[in-house]
Amino acid sequence: MFGKKILFAALLLWCGMAAAQVTVKGTVTDASGETLIGANILVKNSTTGTITEIDGTYELTLSDAFATLVFSYTGYTTQEISLKGNTTLDVVLREEAQLINEVVVVGYGTQRKSDLTGAVTSVKGEELKKIAASNPVQALQGKVAGVQVSAASGRPGEGPVVRIRGTGTLNGAAPIYVVDGLILNNIDFLNTADIESMEILKDASAAAIYGTRGANGVIIITTRKGTRGQKPRVSFNSYYGTQQPERRIALTNATEYAQLVNETSVNSGGQPTYPDPTVFGEGTDWQDVIFQNGAIQNYNLSVSGGSESMLFNISGDVFRQEGIVKSSYFNRYTLRINNEYNFFKWMKFGHNTAFVFSDNNREPGGIVFNALAADPTAPVRDSTGNYGNTSRNSNVGNPAAQLEYNSYNRGYGQQFAGNVFTDVYVLKNLTARSSFGFSLVNNRNKSYEPQFYVNERQQNPESRIFAGVFRGVDWQWENTLNYQKDWKNHRINLLGGYTVQAVTGEGIGGSRNRLIGDTENFFYLDSGDDQTATNYQFANTPERYVSTLLRINYALHDKYLLTASVRRDGSSRFGSERRFGTFPSVAVAWRVIEEPFMKNQNILTNLKLRGSWGRLGNDKIPSNEAIPVVVNGLSAVFGPDEVLNFGAGVTGLANPFLQWEEARSLNAGIELGAFENRLTLELDYYHRRSSKILVRVPIPDYVGSAISPFVNAADVVNSGIDVMLNWRGQIGKLGYRIGALASTVHNEVKSLGRGNAFLRGAIISGEPATSTVIGGPIGAFYGYQVAGIYQNAEDVAKYPNQGIVRPGDLRFADTNGDGIINPDDRVFLGSPIPDLIYGFNLGFDLAGFDFSADFNGMSGNMILNAKKMARGFGIPNYETSFLDRWTSEGSGDSEPRITNGGYPNFNVSDRFLEDGSFMRLRSVQLGYTFPKKLLSKAGFSSLRLYVSGNNVLLWTNYSGYSPEIGSENVLEVGIDRGIYPTSRTFLVGLSANF
Amino acid sequence: MKKHIIRLLGLALFTLSVGGCNKDVLNVEPQAQILEENYFQKPEHAVWAVNAIYNQLRTWNVISFPFISMTDIVSDDALKGSTPADSERLSTFDNYTYGPSFPEEIQLAWRGYYHGIFRANSAIQGIPKVEMDPVLKSRLIGEAKFLRAHYYFYLVRWFGDIPLIDRLLVPSEYYNQPRAPKAEVYNLIIQDLKDAIEVLPEKSQYAAADLGRVTKGSARGILAKVYLTIGDYVNAEKYALEVINSNQYALLPQYNRIFLPEGQNSSESVFEIQATALEGSQAGASPWNMIQGVRGTPNLGWGFNQPSDDLIAAYESGDPRRDATILYVGEVLPDGSAIVQDNPEMVNERYNQKAWTPDHPGLQDNGPSNIRILRYADVLLIAAEALNENNKPMEALTYINLVRARARGTRPITVVPPLTITDQTQLRQAIWRERRVELAMEQHRWFELVRTGQAAAKLAPLGFVAGKHELFPIPQSEIDLTEGIIMQNPMY
Repeated sequence: MFGKKILFAALLLWCGMAAAQVTVKGTVTDASGETLIGANILVKNSTTGTITEIDGTYELTLSDAFATLVFSYTGYTTQEISLKGNTTLDVVLREEAQLINEVVVVGYGTQRKSDLTGAVTSVKGEELKKIAASNPVQALQGKVAGVQVSAASGRPGEGPVVRIRGTGTLNGAAPIYVVDGLILNNIDFLNTADIESMEILKDASAAAIYGTRGANGVIIITTRKGTRGQKPRVSFNSYYGTQQPERRIALTNATEYAQLVNETSVNSGGQPTYPDPTVFGEGTDWQDVIFQNGAIQNYNLSVSGGSESMLFNISGDVFRQEGIVKSSYFNRYTLRINNEYNFFKWMKFGHNTAFVFSDNNREPGGIVFNALAADPTAPVRDSTGNYGNTSRNSNVGNPAAQLEYNSYNRGYGQQFAGNVFTDVYVLKNLTARSSFGFSLVNNRNKSYEPQFYVNERQQNPESRIFAGVFRGVDWQWENTLNYQKDWKNHRINLLGGYTVQAVTGEGIGGSRNRLIGDTENFFYLDSGDDQTATNYQFANTPERYVSTLLRINYALHDKYLLTASVRRDGSSRFGSERRFGTFPSVAVAWRVIEEPFMKNQNILTNLKLRGSWGRLGNDKIPSNEAIPVVVNGLSAVFGPDEVLNFGAGVTGLANPFLQWEEARSLNAGIELGAFENRLTLELDYYHRRSSKILVRVPIPDYVGSAISPFVNAADVVNSGIDVMLNWRGQIGKLGYRIGALASTVHNEVKSLGRGNAFLRGAIISGEPATSTVIGGPIGAFYGYQVAGIYQNAEDVAKYPNQGIVRPGDLRFADTNGDGIINPDDRVFLGSPIPDLIYGFNLGFDLAGFDFSADFNGMSGNMILNAKKMARGFGIPNYETSFLDRWTSEGSGDSEPRITNGGYPNFNVSDRFLEDGSFMRLRSVQLGYTFPKKLLSKAGFSSLRLYVSGNNVLLWTNYSGYSPEIGSENVLEVGIDRGIYPTSRTFLVGLSANF
Repeated sequence: MKKHIIRLLGLALFTLSVGGCNKDVLNVEPQAQILEENYFQKPEHAVWAVNAIYNQLRTWNVISFPFISMTDIVSDDALKGSTPADSERLSTFDNYTYGPSFPEEIQLAWRGYYHGIFRANSAIQGIPKVEMDPVLKSRLIGEAKFLRAHYYFYLVRWFGDIPLIDRLLVPSEYYNQPRAPKAEVYNLIIQDLKDAIEVLPEKSQYAAADLGRVTKGSARGILAKVYLTIGDYVNAEKYALEVINSNQYALLPQYNRIFLPEGQNSSESVFEIQATALEGSQAGASPWNMIQGVRGTPNLGWGFNQPSDDLIAAYESGDPRRDATILYVGEVLPDGSAIVQDNPEMVNERYNQKAWTPDHPGLQDNGPSNIRILRYADVLLIAAEALNENNKPMEALTYINLVRARARGTRPITVVPPLTITDQTQLRQAIWRERRVELAMEQHRWFELVRTGQAAAKLAPLGFVAGKHELFPIPQSEIDLTEGIIMQNPMY
């Protein structure tokens, strides 16, 4: 700054001496319209120049009216513009694509991006805001190579399933979240507007500092803070939108349904049920009954700023979302106060705290499936006004009646989460930090079901109330020492720390029947009959962690970088014989661009090679498996009054040698910037071998243990490539950017422990639908291969014996060639894990308008359409694919004749397996930023309005609501049992600063 | 100032590190649960551990599909039932196409009964450590031994030679237990039952609240059946007569009342699995009623275990036990609450009436019925059979005619008339047939067919292969996991 002042003075001096010249005026702003103060303007190939004033304006006198001016500003891309005789020239400067001095958050500290040796991707809060969602992680979809985000359901308030670089365990595979230093398993309480940045730590070099909890990857979240020297600024961000199901499932109408029911009956030897199916016409579309357009809205007001002695950021946030299934909603109200106080020169104190209140309602249980299954010939209500009977034919409740009677399923949450910390500058270069993080959770839930009668099978003879409370306390104390020293060509950063964490939780609740009233005033246990009371209280096994950590970062000549870290973790989650583990990592990087031989080229502006190795742990293993306990509730009935006599016993075996799962992770990467970093490329290869994966190893049943003990026995490898490619450019006043990212996952099980040829996953209709076998991916689909359809009796006789089948039934492949079709012929049918996950995005801005479109997708994954398989109890409605049924010889070779469940047509086979590949226009946004001049009169410093859409377009062959079928259970991914669909959202929004 | 801070900080960190490295911090205990290492320290632990063995009797693997399939459905008394498509795999028990790995019911039975043995072993091993009233202590051990014998008796009859596990195994023993010869298994069963007879009270000696616990009579009765099964008629006679002469039991006057709620723990009950339907809880229930209940209207269950034509034909004309055993379409339910309607989805629709239960709290799966494992009538017929084999036909006739007289009730003497045959072979046949009709649909028939050697002759037309199907296949996983130490039964 001082240097600039001298230059300015010198320039003034020089200008004063000149004569007979042209004067050029203008304003320099950034892309958002904010004026830039002190931007440099220089006449190309001269020393003539100036800098912009406090309002961003400049005035430059020069001799050549056709000169080229060079506009530059630290952190912004330099622009050269030819004057062509103009005397006014307003210029928009854009932030540089990749800042050499950009700082990213890493575990227990920050690092210059250029110093990174590991695979870390940073996503700014602004980017997250493009997606309207309760959980900010949903916005990562298609944004970060190597990260797969999929919704397990579209229910408001529910977080997505996140996998970083594949699935490295048969147990909990979710990453950990580190929110302002506090390690958490979920971040449902965070709202997007409060997030400054998210850093995704993908390799060992980055994540090994989290030791036994880092193997699934780490997402570090930093919340917004004030900026030093910034006057109090009021910001208001808001959007309002409407959501609807992305698509409907094509079901048979009442006439078609009745026809198929008739055929079912005839095919099983009976008489047609309906003499004339056409009398039913279209019938009821039950999807219409349950879906609605749901509003989604968010209002965030914040005040932030900072002085020498204090930084502050106070924000209030209201998020309200109605579900697309009637009666479901999620609302959240947050107050966040992130302040820092510089009490003394040598010490700083601060806190990041959030108070969160939420309330939600869940839709009636199973209503989405019921809407698909309900008999379309039944009316919503019959002529007498009573609810139509869907139970009789389709064996599911009337969804409209469910909405009336089973919709009161409330949840209320309170959370106080954050941290208080102090930094003490102990010595020059040495900082001590002590941070106490906490999350106090208090959740209540309550559901009420009135007494009602729809029909014999859909009724509730007595009104009923359930209520429960859960209280969780999670605290963590973290003490670190950080030593930083630069000398000559060396830079070193040493980190040492010690942390402890404890997690406890307990719940209490109960139920009663026969309430004395039926309005909300009575929805308390005390309104019910105490004769019918049930209750429970439990406490989770406390979890405790103690850890020590050490890390060194060393840079030589800013060229050769080394990171080495080690963490020693103790965890109560492991067996008494295996409490402590050590997790080292080492990484090196070479900034080739700094080498002399790179100086005489001007294409590349960044080139870095890096490699890392490390060992990480996963502790998301089932609780308590290491501690043998007595099982309660094994009661026996005795006495003339048939009284339950308490019983308890040892029923299984535990393993005191249980320990964390281990992952050895290897990463090699290249970072490249060219054309002044307008083009950037980041490419990583990773290979992660997870071993000692906890798996139940079968023991012979004669041992008599009710459970097979867990053993650290399985091995899984994930490997692949992550690539991110971005281009930013400018054509005149049009700035544009285009980016693409992709990642591949090869997931392969190497071992499953003794006696485990395979692990069963989901059981559907009494059969394993997924199976994890050695050499295959985790949770692969498993079943019969359809070879065709038996066209006639000769076929039945000709092909291998498949048991009792008739013409029109599915003919399975005799995969083992033994001449008989039996369960041994079931084979691998496909994987729910995509081969490729990708995203691409483009955007441009011009004259205050900005536009962006983000696409994401994946390919190579399969989905099991289990909702189509769910037949046998009653005759549920049909998906229209059933209409392609086989009816007579030669009438088809894919969909069998109509039967209502059972062998062979409804066994798990590739008949029900669909391609889950998809591509989606994840978000599209058009915004307009008002010009400064207009705004200042109205008291704004900036104002942007936008319209946007999320999940606007979807390309997929999958027939369900959404090809995103996530599941936290890694053995049961990609099984569509009729999930709550994800939604398409259209929004208008504004963001204003005062 | 600074120096002080540095020192304080250094001290704080140091203290913390030392404190934290203490391993005990990481020793946490599951809440609201007893650790295994703390079990069998109080008298109530002994009671609870034994109750847990009884609890296993009502579980799915022990009493539902596997049990019913491998006793009635596999015999000539019953077919799979239900709709043809529902659990189609169970029809393998109708046509003898089951194998070592399919359907799963065979493995589930094996597993369920060994789980019961595990609980019994745990109690038998743990209770001696408990300081408690010696009388109660020995009774509890006696109950545990009885139940262990009960579980083994099913396994040995189904599978033949089986691993004989009489204690909790340690990890090094998990994978290497061979099949013990049948005789050794029977030795353990006999010894356990004899031990139980020594210490168990008679039915009348129990406190009322203990009604349903196994008694001296239960142990004698089962032991008589064990001896009958292995062809030791002298001992079969001895123990059956001990039950009869104990004066603890009497036939219920009306046959059709035995399976109603009022027939639970009746004078005729020697051993029955206790169950009840509680309000708002299934903690006392079994799936036994639901599996066999009327499917359709009234909607009471799944309709499995369908009485066969062969069974219907086995009754003497006019035998009222047929109507008491089989529930037909159009028949009024025993409590008069409804008439069974035709369900077009079912073929030859009829039900096991002995599994019918009146309206009760909760849904179908809250099955309240006690499951009669050993009735006094069974003991009388064991006595009759043993006596006949021991060349005491007149005494044998006394007992079989008691059973027939009760069946007849107040009807004319021409209905189920008293028998007078004294020819040993003829009487044997008569007793066998009497056992069939008296005990029909009570999950005994398969064992009767195999025990008496009638299986091949009776079942061959249905697919039964002599020399093979007398035993069920050992679950394939046991063979795989022991890497062949466990070997398969012949011809599977």
